[in-house]
Amino acid sequence: MDLTYTPRQQAFRAEVRAWLKAHVAAEPLLTLECEQGYHQHVAWERQLASGNWGMVTWPEAYGGRGLDLIEWLIFEEEYWSAGAPLRVNQNGIFLLGPTIMEYGTEEQKARFLTPMAAGEVIWAQAWSEPGAGSDMAAIKTTAYRDGDHYVINGQKTWSSRASFADWGFGLFRTEEGSQRHKGLSFILFDLNTPGVTRRPIRQLHGHPGFAELFFDDVRVPVDNRLSGEGDGWKVAMATAGFERGLMLRSPGRFQATARRLVELFRQHERDASPAAREAVAKAWMDTQAYAYNTYAVAAKIMAGGSIGAEASLNKIFWSELDRAMHRTAMQLLGAAAELRHFADGRVNDWLEGYMFSLSGPIYAGSNEIQRNITAERLLDMPRVGAG
Amino acid sequence: MDMLIAPERLELAEAVRDFLSGTHGPEVLRRLDAGPNRDPALWQGLVEMGLTGLLVPEEHGGLGMGLLDAALIARECGRVALAEPLVESAFVAVPWLVAQGDTSDLATIARGERRIAPAHRLNGAVADGEGAALDSIDPLRRLTTLPADASDDALLLDLGALMAAAQLVGLAEAMLDQAVEYSKIRTQFGQPVGGFQAIKHKLADVAVALEFARPVLWRAAQALDDGIASAAVHVSHAKVAATDAAYLAAESAIQVHGAMGYTYEVDLHFWMKRAWALGGAWGSRAFHLNRIDAAVIGGPHPIGPENTFA
Repeated sequence: MDLTYTPRQQAFRAEVRAWLKAHVAAEPLLTLECEQGYHQHVAWERQLASGNWGMVTWPEAYGGRGLDLIEWLIFEEEYWSAGAPLRVNQNGIFLLGPTIMEYGTEEQKARFLTPMAAGEVIWAQAWSEPGAGSDMAAIKTTAYRDGDHYVINGQKTWSSRASFADWGFGLFRTEEGSQRHKGLSFILFDLNTPGVTRRPIRQLHGHPGFAELFFDDVRVPVDNRLSGEGDGWKVAMATAGFERGLMLRSPGRFQATARRLVELFRQHERDASPAAREAVAKAWMDTQAYAYNTYAVAAKIMAGGSIGAEASLNKIFWSELDRAMHRTAMQLLGAAAELRHFADGRVNDWLEGYMFSLSGPIYAGSNEIQRNITAERLLDMPRVGAG
Repeated sequence: MDMLIAPERLELAEAVRDFLSGTHGPEVLRRLDAGPNRDPALWQGLVEMGLTGLLVPEEHGGLGMGLLDAALIARECGRVALAEPLVESAFVAVPWLVAQGDTSDLATIARGERRIAPAHRLNGAVADGEGAALDSIDPLRRLTTLPADASDDALLLDLGALMAAAQLVGLAEAMLDQAVEYSKIRTQFGQPVGGFQAIKHKLADVAVALEFARPVLWRAAQALDDGIASAAVHVSHAKVAATDAAYLAAESAIQVHGAMGYTYEVDLHFWMKRAWALGGAWGSRAFHLNRIDAAVIGGPHPIGPENTFA
């Protein structure tokens, strides 16, 4: 255990900080859930890529910098500290990217990773269906083989980014008559393929952050399948591991929120309750705990280990922590909490953030599912009935 | 930057775990409770493992290890609800004496011939001290009145709080294990109660609390070992996180045990009562929360993403 940064790591931090200082706009972008904001965020992804900051851990051949996980954490810390925009391509760079790295062919890596890191192709995910949410193995959408193509028919829903994105990935039933986890394949598809219909869904905040997708004889080349036919569940679980585990929610994001919460508390200190004061102190404690744990997991992975069902503990912790911090802020704001814009015209980020935080315990596998996984796989409690 | 605990450190802690689970099981707790609650043979076993000299410098006959090693072992002591006063003598008093340059007793402490019961004013009492006996709910705790010359030293408090936190983590882990095991054997409605989601989710919450208390503990141990200026804040963080995890584990475990958990017959109470004792000792939750508050909200401790290890 050595809790000091090497000179090389410190120099890297300074480099990241300087680049972000020169490039992050003072004016915040519009929300990436609306069309104009989406395009602003895509432009930002391309600017990041122009500095080679798209995904620092990826090999240089795919537009990365070949850095390790500690350097990735340093990048993320500086990124969130600088107030840089949300990553509109997070489905790609944090979830699909690592999955392709693990399961893709060399041809697939070259074809998909480079434009992903460059921000040229923005990815949506397509897991859920109307009848397959928490019970994802109930997927019904089919992709049956016809020569060197799959023909997709069915419906996906709650598809994040799909209102505006370029490509999607998801699980499809490729074996006729197959049940549950068997006979599923992991397929990537161009959202502009004939037969794909997107129907944007208005979210809590009023913007179309996700969409329904209807597939009507959509022809997708077999080359777009990741790993073997019928191996989809295994591949999807790896993606879900990245989602719940290390990559999707790096600690810097929450530490930045905790710092803003401390500042908000100081402004409202005279009217704040002792409970709010404790909640603010707890925000610092829990975001720090999450950061230490992430550094410990990164060290474990760098030493050749891996992250398993512990990813579920992470997901429960960060999603409920994020919600608690924003709830505290809403209560500190009092009568101003309901304002979408404050009187001076600034966006009420706490309200927007609170709405977003309510989705955290639901997406990426609801926290009820995560608690089941924790109990059954980490604590070895009995599996009874469904689940 | 490397938050990995080196494998050889974990191996030592695992060896201690094996030793304690073989010599200090629940039947020993019951035997000690029925008798004088200390046992020279158990103490001798700890001495022979080298644990009394763990933090004693090598030139004084010890192993010369660090606070992280001691925290790892204190956690194991919590896991078995160790009755002997190893932690406060060997892992709290010894590093305090070393820091003060007082080496006169170190060799005898390492050999297990002398035990120090560190007395701090904030505690209001001493465990295994010389004064008049006080009446702790913990049947294996020998609590005595605070001597007039008790210290108010800040480092002593931090060492005591850190090692209490480490034991609390071990206590909580043991209580979680007991609740999980009970949930597998107790059947109602024709199935093990551990199959019900209400029980699973309750214990999953304990697992979450522990998962995010442990790295705080290791970070605090390393910070105090490194002597960084902010170490006290990190020790307080560890104490609060460990206390909260232990109370949650205790309340969840008794609930999962049902009425059995409310009996003296089920061993859970040994762990639960130790958690109550150590949760309040070496600075209450309020004391440590106030120290964090004063540094983070009211004070100059640097916060935010780039200050993870400030």
